[in-house]
Amino acid sequence: MAAGWLWRRLCQGSAFPVSYASRIMQKQYLLPSSNLMGARLAGSHGDTQEPKTNPLVSISDEPETLYKRLSILVKGHDKAVLDSYEYFAVLAAKELGISIEKVDKPPKTIERFTVLKSVHIYKKHRVQYEMRTHYMCLELKYLTGSTAAVYLEYVQRNLPEGVAMEVKKTKIEKIPEHIQKPVWDTLPQVEETEIKS
Amino acid sequence: MAAAARALRVLPCALHVPSATRQLHTTPACLKTRAARVRAGKGDKMVTYEQAHPPHYIGHRKGWLSLHTGNLCGEAGAAQRALEDAFVRRFLYGTFPGLLADEVVLKRRGNLLVVCALLGRALPPHKLYFLQGYAETLLGHLYKCPVRLELQTVPARVPYKYL
Repeated sequence: MAAGWLWRRLCQGSAFPVSYASRIMQKQYLLPSSNLMGARLAGSHGDTQEPKTNPLVSISDEPETLYKRLSILVKGHDKAVLDSYEYFAVLAAKELGISIEKVDKPPKTIERFTVLKSVHIYKKHRVQYEMRTHYMCLELKYLTGSTAAVYLEYVQRNLPEGVAMEVKKTKIEKIPEHIQKPVWDTLPQVEETEIKS
Repeated sequence: MAAAARALRVLPCALHVPSATRQLHTTPACLKTRAARVRAGKGDKMVTYEQAHPPHYIGHRKGWLSLHTGNLCGEAGAAQRALEDAFVRRFLYGTFPGLLADEVVLKRRGNLLVVCALLGRALPPHKLYFLQGYAETLLGHLYKCPVRLELQTVPARVPYKYL
């Protein structure tokens, strides 16, 4: 009866301010107003009850692959470019909290070949060309699969032109069950018989 | 003073020993390399920084005009890249007739081909934009990869030397 009276009042009066909460009350059944008003307001204004989920982050149930070592070998013709890329990669690893095992700079390889200078004859006069390849090896240790994926994607998207990268991952796996215990523990006990010669 | 002169005479003089002289080797005229070198002339020929330096300065005073991984140790595709570069340079030389101020720089990032060109200001901007779109679309369809053309205009060719 009180609900019906309230409903008529709401429909008629323009003086009565129709708030969001009261609109909800019109649609649903009318209960003692004070409790419902409080609950509705709290629910409508903030989503503090539900945890915020980032659409870019996906959580799966399968266990993470663990990498003991991630070895990145970067090759290029220009040593200055490789030095600046090393600074960038080391900074990125530090920012992500990845421990760096070592930063190695193997010696450069020079590929030379000699060709005849002239189109026809003049065997004694030749031209020599060379191609220099500088290397830089970055070794990171103890990564998870997702960290490695994120780091590699970031670092590869920012790879400069004229620079090639080779990645080697060393995975840590559980020892398979059939070799977890030594074989001599599982074999049945063989009684030693004395051989009398 | 007399004692000093006697001391000088006593010291062994290595200046006139025949085996200590230097031999000067001269190259005959046909041995001069002419690759990518602009020969010295009267002084009226304008030459840019790129043209003035011969190829043995690449990596020291010059940079590379075409950047790709084909020539690295253990990488393949050098010949294909070289052919593509040659075609792209000729194509751009024809698309922008008389406008190229300097050599075109080609960069390859993954699948993307970035072409960086310096142009003069002979054409109005809307024509340059049209030619840029035309070159990008046509090269993209020819090579089946995204092509980005980065143009910059300069008032005139920048001279480094006059040979």
